[in-house]
Amino acid sequence: MLEITPNTIAFLVFALLSVGGALGVVVSTNLIHGALFLIVSLFGGAGLFVLLAAPFMAAVQILVYIGAIAILIIFAVMLTRSMTSLSEIFNRQWWISAIVAVVMLGLLLVGAILPVWGPSGTNAMLPVSDAVGTTVDLGIALVDGNQFVLPFEVASLLLTAAMIGAIVIARDNE
Amino acid sequence: MAYYPQLVSLIILIPAIGAFINIFWGARLGEKWVGTVATVASALAFVIAVLLFVYLEGSGYEAVVINPPIFDGWIQIPAGEVVIPWQQRVDTLSSTMMLIITGIGTLIHVYSISYMHGDARFHRYFAYLNMFLAFMLVLVTANNFLMMFVGWEGVGLCSFLLIGFWFDKAHGVGWRNTMAANKAMLLNRIGDFGVVMSVLIMFWTFGTTDYFRPAEIVNVHLAEEAAHAAEAAHSEEGAVAAEGEAANKPGDVVLAQEGEGEGAAAEEAHGEEHSTPGVVYVNNDHIETDQLGVFGQAERFLDEGRVIDIGPVQLPFSTWLTIMTLFLVLGVTGKSAQIPLFTWLPDAMAGPTPASALIHAATMVTAGVYIMVRSNVLFYYAPVTSFVVAMIGALTALVAGFIAMGQWDIKRVLAYSTVSQLGFMVAAVGIGAYAAAIFHLVTHAFFKALLFLGSGSVIHAMEHGHHHAHSHGHGHDDEHHGDDHHDAHEEEFDPQDMRNMGGLRRKMPLTFITYLFGTLALAGIFPFAGFWSKDEILADSWVAGFDNNNLAGYIVFIILLMAAAFTAFYMWRQIVLVFFGKPRTEAAEHAPESSRLITIPLVILGFFSLGIGFMNTPSYVLGLDNIFGAHLFTDRLEYSVSKAHASEFNLLIALGATALAVAAMFLANNIYRRSAIIEARRDPLEMLPTTAPFWSLANARMYWDAFYSRVFARPFTRIAYFLSDVVDWRFLHDYFHDVVIWKGFNAAAQGLSKPVDLGVIDGAVNGVGRVFGWLSSQLRQIQTGYVRTYALSLLVGVVLVILVILLPLLQRG
Amino acid sequence: MLQLPSLETLNMGAALPAISIAAWACILLLIDLWIPKDRKILTVYLAAGNLVFAFIANLLVFNQSGDSFMGMYVADQFSGVMNLIIIGTALLSIVLSFDYLKRVGIERGEYYVLVLFVTAGAMFMAAANDLILIFVALELLSIPLYVLSAFRAPDIRSEEAGMKYFLLGAFASAFLVFGGAMVYGATGTTNLNEIAASAGMIIASNSSTSLFLLLGAALLLVGLGFKVAAVPFHEWTPDVYEGAPTPVTAFMSVAAKLGGFGSLLRILVVGMSAVTMTAGEPAVWQNVVAILAGLTMIVGNIVALSQANIKRMLAYSSIANAGYILMAVAAAGSPGLANEATRGALVYMLAYMFTNMGAFAVVIAVERANGGADLEHFVGLGKARPMLAIMMVVFMMSLTGIPLTGGFIGKALVFATTLNAGLVWLAIIGVLTSVVSAYYYVRVIVNMFLRDAEASTEEATPGYSTGVQWVAAVALGGTVLLGVLPTLITVLTDRVSLVASITP
Repeated sequence: MLEITPNTIAFLVFALLSVGGALGVVVSTNLIHGALFLIVSLFGGAGLFVLLAAPFMAAVQILVYIGAIAILIIFAVMLTRSMTSLSEIFNRQWWISAIVAVVMLGLLLVGAILPVWGPSGTNAMLPVSDAVGTTVDLGIALVDGNQFVLPFEVASLLLTAAMIGAIVIARDNE
Repeated sequence: MAYYPQLVSLIILIPAIGAFINIFWGARLGEKWVGTVATVASALAFVIAVLLFVYLEGSGYEAVVINPPIFDGWIQIPAGEVVIPWQQRVDTLSSTMMLIITGIGTLIHVYSISYMHGDARFHRYFAYLNMFLAFMLVLVTANNFLMMFVGWEGVGLCSFLLIGFWFDKAHGVGWRNTMAANKAMLLNRIGDFGVVMSVLIMFWTFGTTDYFRPAEIVNVHLAEEAAHAAEAAHSEEGAVAAEGEAANKPGDVVLAQEGEGEGAAAEEAHGEEHSTPGVVYVNNDHIETDQLGVFGQAERFLDEGRVIDIGPVQLPFSTWLTIMTLFLVLGVTGKSAQIPLFTWLPDAMAGPTPASALIHAATMVTAGVYIMVRSNVLFYYAPVTSFVVAMIGALTALVAGFIAMGQWDIKRVLAYSTVSQLGFMVAAVGIGAYAAAIFHLVTHAFFKALLFLGSGSVIHAMEHGHHHAHSHGHGHDDEHHGDDHHDAHEEEFDPQDMRNMGGLRRKMPLTFITYLFGTLALAGIFPFAGFWSKDEILADSWVAGFDNNNLAGYIVFIILLMAAAFTAFYMWRQIVLVFFGKPRTEAAEHAPESSRLITIPLVILGFFSLGIGFMNTPSYVLGLDNIFGAHLFTDRLEYSVSKAHASEFNLLIALGATALAVAAMFLANNIYRRSAIIEARRDPLEMLPTTAPFWSLANARMYWDAFYSRVFARPFTRIAYFLSDVVDWRFLHDYFHDVVIWKGFNAAAQGLSKPVDLGVIDGAVNGVGRVFGWLSSQLRQIQTGYVRTYALSLLVGVVLVILVILLPLLQRG
Repeated sequence: MLQLPSLETLNMGAALPAISIAAWACILLLIDLWIPKDRKILTVYLAAGNLVFAFIANLLVFNQSGDSFMGMYVADQFSGVMNLIIIGTALLSIVLSFDYLKRVGIERGEYYVLVLFVTAGAMFMAAANDLILIFVALELLSIPLYVLSAFRAPDIRSEEAGMKYFLLGAFASAFLVFGGAMVYGATGTTNLNEIAASAGMIIASNSSTSLFLLLGAALLLVGLGFKVAAVPFHEWTPDVYEGAPTPVTAFMSVAAKLGGFGSLLRILVVGMSAVTMTAGEPAVWQNVVAILAGLTMIVGNIVALSQANIKRMLAYSSIANAGYILMAVAAAGSPGLANEATRGALVYMLAYMFTNMGAFAVVIAVERANGGADLEHFVGLGKARPMLAIMMVVFMMSLTGIPLTGGFIGKALVFATTLNAGLVWLAIIGVLTSVVSAYYYVRVIVNMFLRDAEASTEEATPGYSTGVQWVAAVALGGTVLLGVLPTLITVLTDRVSLVASITP
């Protein structure tokens, strides 16, 4: 059984967020809602990265998706205003996606559970990065020349580009 | 010094630029400038050829291989280790060819300015001519067979373009010209197949198509001799002189531009070895076999008795050598107009006369002889091929000489004469007289160019005369001539028909005298050029037959003697018909002497036809060798043609052949002076019952063309018709293409794409298309334009990718 | 503690070409504010000048190889050649764009800034030696492209293109990140060299870790496969290419592919070439890539057959071309062939760059005022504008792969390395689909020369401007030069070696 620790609770919350968000994307008929749900789902994923001791992946996920993409998505959706209020389902093959999704889920489950309870029976220890650490460490890593300064700078460029893009699209044509 | 021979890259570039300018701007430049540009380009090329000649004289005839800039990695396929460099070779053989091509080429350019005056496509003509020069120079300066082939095809193209130059002449003449051009193209393609096969086998066998690698010594024999001489000098004069001597020693190969980045890395390695001072090689033993050129490797292979397998076929090297040389000979029969592919050359006279002189007499058609002499090592070791070559050459010489006696067209006689003389050269190659073949090539280039240009001058004059006479009758304005001066109502007048001529001796004295020079040279009368070269071939075949007991030698000697008699006969017949007697038509009556631009080249060529033979005077002849030196040309050639040898003068043969020629000329003189029969447009030989069958056989060109047309052309046309109409049109096009491919593909493609083009699908869903139509209606769903379906298919792709990538892992369990 | 790195240890000089473009993009954004609306040509000059500067800088650092940013960025000959091609693409498309933007009325300075961002992103992708940098650079490439696709904003097709591209792109990026995370989980590192060092061991260990490594590789492949428009991740391509402003289509059809293949080659060759079941065998991912390549060639070429819109046709053609490059990538999985395959892919990409830019230049010149560009519009072009039509012929021949054009050289190299890798079936598919492709390429030629315009409705083709002519001429020169003298580029590519060459 699962122990109730803060970690477990956090995992549950993030898992809920990512799965729920994903569900929302699929179910929602409103495009803008779908986009927002996507962000929620991605955020949940980012949280899971933190729990998996991959803080940088989490940071990237948040930086890029909640930062850049969110801005862009809102503006992008805004410029296709006509599409936001559609509630009709155009797609009659939704069941195919359902099947595929279930198959995917099954595969993932097999992939995730087999190593743990598989015939080999060993609870394979996945290598864990040493770079587990605090936010301070993360901050240092982002500007340390030995670590992630280049991705960090490029990510900031990316944010700039996204901002420009959003403004360009949303701005009325004079 | 090493930079000096680099000029050779310009010799191609300059005519190419000339052609380029004339093609693109010629129409705007006007005749004067077009002619100037083309002639200057040609003259510059000649100057370079002279400079290279001087260079070779100064450097002891050592061959130089040049890597022209930009081109150096011409064909490189790293995966197959194929490296074919664009290398040019300056040696005594290529230098000889360059001098002829550019020298005669320049004269013909000058001549053409006047001859082509007023032609609507004047600039195009000169562009072709320059282009021809460029390609011909590629052909002769190449250092490998593939580059040679580029030139080979290029000159073929120019020849085609020039034969069909007047494709739009009125009265069906244009159509005939076009057909002549097509004929040349087609027959040459057959020959080119042979060349391609030969080069491919060569490449497969040797892994290279280079003649010689830059570090290689061509003529080991000479190099050893020179080394001995140097040694002797060294021991006598001491070390001081040795340094200067070593620099000029033929054994010390001058390397071409080491720093330029040769094609093969190995060359560089060897180059380094070579540049170490003190080591002077007199043979190629230190070079590994696969670093040698084609000829060097061939000799090694023969020594080793190597067995080569090409695909599943495994044969000894000597057999492959025979096969590859035979294929090459097929190419030669095409380009150099030998039996069985010679029929295009007489028809090729449809082109402008100066072009015929340059391309179809002096230079291009000799390319076959050139390439055989270039590959003399291969032919030397392939006795079967050599025998075939000798037979082909001798037979061609005889047959063409025979046909020439029954022709009325002044240019056609010369054309058959060219075929016949090429036969002499080819036969010379066949009996191993490589130097004699090239010598005859050189002399023939001069006097045959002279004869063609002379005939051009005559034709030109006849046209003018005809025009003159005609315009007096009708009061026409005579500004134009050439292609458009025939009027529709007018009876067809052939300015090339010798029956229309006669008595031109007095009308065009300069043309007459130079033409006489050419005739005497061609007939082989002492001391004209043809005497020396023809005599050398005859003497060589005599030696080959009677001294070396080579069967081909006997046959060639006898046949060539007959052909030589034919030559003298038909040439004198021509002289009599054209220049002697009385003018037989009004046109001949009014024929004027040609302009100076035409006569000056004639005079220059006439001078050479008289004198060029002395460059290879044999020893002990009337003391001439004291004046001109003995075997100069052959000795020089030996530096690049290792199997060449000087032949000794044989007084008996010389006297006999000359006597035969003179007798034939007398005979011709006696027969054709009776002009009454010719007045009636008949040949005296035709009237005699004994000679009539022979004459009509010659007149009908021995039914050679008719035979080809019946045996090959017609069945071919029929098969082609069947293929095109039944197989291609009815089956492939109507059924296979329309139904299977067109509808099938269309349906499949439509199915995978957006259903925008639904209408087309409806049309296509028929027959086989129905299946695809069904398929498409299923697959059409994919390209819906909806993001979510795209995302879905992306997801499917993800699953597939994951499955496939994990497959090996799952298999492993 | 935080250690401020010295410039020397960062070795920023090696990354100068990319950095200068990124930095100048930011500066140009500000400068543009002071450039009056009617003189936006200044912005073009400033952007182009920057590209020229980067081009020269790249040539200067070409022969140096070294890491920047402690192994994040690798400046080697591979990135050197890639940078040359990428910068060339950007230059040509900027020249293509100026008149177009003016005509369509979307002349804004940000356009050029975004193009510069994409360029920098592609260059970072080609040089990135770390999964994180690859991802971030990919986003730097993608996001401005989304915006550029929608740049003709009130135009519904342009908006739709941008929207579709964005949504699907985000979707695909997520896979990439996910894959990166898996690889990170399996190996504990994101650095490609370190991944390479441990990957072989992990596979050999037969533990579940290998499962994660392979899953990660698969997902990375998906993410980049989307960028290069490989089947079945290609479906956005025709819609987006058709809707986006034509110069943007031209730019993105090349730049996105360049970036994608740059990263793909680096990940697979540098990071994953040791991922084999048994040592000495081809890498595990070879099968997948080969299948993708085959599918891509088949679907791309066959669907292109039925396209009536020239931009859609070129879109499918660009899918098909991705297939040919993927073929080289697959071949790179065979041991000892990585470098040869990489070189082949590079030459192919260069040839494709010239040819495709040229073809799009011609499309812009032929395009009608409303942005329509159908095959029908090419009818009679051979008479109306013979030079343009002849150029188009050369581009179509190059795309088909006819000798004496760059396309032939690229295809020859790619097919040769595929055969060397033993993927005969793939090479056969490649050749057969090339034959199929001749059908639709030749159709353009037929339309231009062999069909007469039925109705002489002389519609205006306002796109035919000096800039477009220049681009077409340069592309023609490049295509022909590459076809006639391939040495010019093979001299450079021969120095490329992604993995240390093993002497046989």
